[in-house]
Amino acid sequence: MRSRKTAGIAIVFAAIAVVSPRPAVHGARNGTIAGRVELRRAAPPVERRPTVAELGAPTAALDISDRLRSVVYLDSAPRGAFEPVETPRAVMDQRGERFIPHVLAITTGTVVDFPNSDRIYHNVFSLSKTRQFDLGRYAAGHSKPVRFDRPGVVRVFCDIHSHMNAFILVFSHPFFSLTDNDGRYHIDNVPPGTYNVVAWNEGVSSDARPVVVPDGGVAELDFTLR
Amino acid sequence: MKLVLRAALFAVLALGHSLPACPQALPSEPITFADGRVTISGDVSVAVAPEDPGFFNYTDYEHSALRLFRLDVSTAVAMGGHFTALGEMRTENLGQVHAYALYLRIRPWIDRPFDIQAGRVPPTFGAFARRTYASDNLLIGYPLAYQYLTSLRADALPVNADELLSMRGRGWLSQFSLGSRDLAAGLPLATAFRWDTGVQVHAAGHAVDATAAITTGTLSNPLFKDDNSGRQVAGRVSVHPVAGLLIGASAAHGPFVSSTAARGAVGDGHDGAFTQTAFGADIEYSHAYYLVRGETVFSEWKVPAVGTPLIDTPLRALATYVEGRYKIRPGVYVAARIDHLGFNDVTGSSGPRTWEAPVTRLEVGGGYSVLRNLLLKVSCQRNTRDGGFVREATLGAVQLVYWF
Repeated sequence: MRSRKTAGIAIVFAAIAVVSPRPAVHGARNGTIAGRVELRRAAPPVERRPTVAELGAPTAALDISDRLRSVVYLDSAPRGAFEPVETPRAVMDQRGERFIPHVLAITTGTVVDFPNSDRIYHNVFSLSKTRQFDLGRYAAGHSKPVRFDRPGVVRVFCDIHSHMNAFILVFSHPFFSLTDNDGRYHIDNVPPGTYNVVAWNEGVSSDARPVVVPDGGVAELDFTLR
Repeated sequence: MKLVLRAALFAVLALGHSLPACPQALPSEPITFADGRVTISGDVSVAVAPEDPGFFNYTDYEHSALRLFRLDVSTAVAMGGHFTALGEMRTENLGQVHAYALYLRIRPWIDRPFDIQAGRVPPTFGAFARRTYASDNLLIGYPLAYQYLTSLRADALPVNADELLSMRGRGWLSQFSLGSRDLAAGLPLATAFRWDTGVQVHAAGHAVDATAAITTGTLSNPLFKDDNSGRQVAGRVSVHPVAGLLIGASAAHGPFVSSTAARGAVGDGHDGAFTQTAFGADIEYSHAYYLVRGETVFSEWKVPAVGTPLIDTPLRALATYVEGRYKIRPGVYVAARIDHLGFNDVTGSSGPRTWEAPVTRLEVGGGYSVLRNLLLKVSCQRNTRDGGFVREATLGAVQLVYWF
């Protein structure tokens, strides 16, 4: 199992090395990689720092459901497989002093909107090398966009509420999938061939595992993390 | 200085050593165990600055806010939905570890934002007093109202106006004839470095929060165990009509002179008469990349009139500061604070004069976030004072702050 740092590097490499070790055969039908990511234990939520200096208890509750979701992606992708036609958009909401979703997987060039749905101010920022930004403070009903042009892992925080955090995984190819809460995933439209596949959860990633995608078929691949 | 250097060395060893290779080795989030019922966080800061011969930044005779290593460990232990025990252990310059905070928070109704806190509780009065952590402080120095030491003491009293005036600008180490004869540091208007002990009640609404407390000490002299016959009553109301705007008003009243000092001045049974009364107002507005705060604290201390020339009026002080921050890029900000502390006149043998030397401070600086939870601050402050041996000082400082 790899560390957070190597997980980020792996994604970067995945983005740079947009080549398949065994290119797809011309005219073949695309297949699917499907399976399940089993988590031995869910990543613990980031607790609020002890509010020793506060005059009363905080009100917003924490929720761990998002932490069950993982991202599965191809370590390397078929050449020319990614042909973006228009700027994709995604949303990461700020609600109940949480980022929703907690994990976002996008392709390079995606613009992510960060609406504030709380009555209080939030201040979204990231100091990640992949994408540094600080959206400043803005109130409920307002939103600010950020465009992600480089592949990698972006950790997102709120400057006001230190327990608010999220991940954005940026890929330069479309061969990734976010699991559901049961850990199930499927990566569709994968050209037939042999690929290395990686599973990621809360900064921890698996070793790359090879898989053969048959012509028009489904390749099953399960992972266990943590 | 040796202590500060030792602290800096400790900080470098503790933080810097592992930074280039693996910053993730340090916790970046609170540590939790027992199924999330126990949460521990920490704050470490080390500030380095040249000597401050005018003692403008001293919080007592030995500690300067600009030359300080501080380690805080905070813990919250949740005991069901109604009770949480909170504590904070603190050491400064690797000295004695003491309980900065230790109290029980009770929430009688789970769904209602109404809390009772009992023990060594956070200050009710003002805005800055609960924002004294280095990671919350925009600059390295502190507002004068919460840090600057006047010559006034709780355990010693001047016998007359001349003696009081002779101590102008010497709050870092003053001495009076009545009560304790020891040389010791005086009192700030409201200290940011000790918390009081008592019971606090807090109710939060959509736009209004209100807090009231009864404690053993006073704003300027919080205590663990009372040393006179009276308690302090304090209250605060804050209004946040729109996101980003907070307006607060505070008041506090309680006896501040120790019974020993009062007995030395006027005999037994009068220690409840020598009170500190304070009023405060604060405002904060933030939007986008800027944050502006202002706060004013008025304090009045009643001291006994013993000898001539009499101190025939309460001793008053008014401190006001305005501070602001602007983020110029992700992880980088600039900040400034202008601050003034003034005093009323008392009449000594040579005529009326402010009972303490007025002080003005301008501090400018900025911060750079090396990591989300590792902040490097630099600042430069200009202090001027109308009295004392040293009347002005320009001080630069650097501070490294780490928290999890």
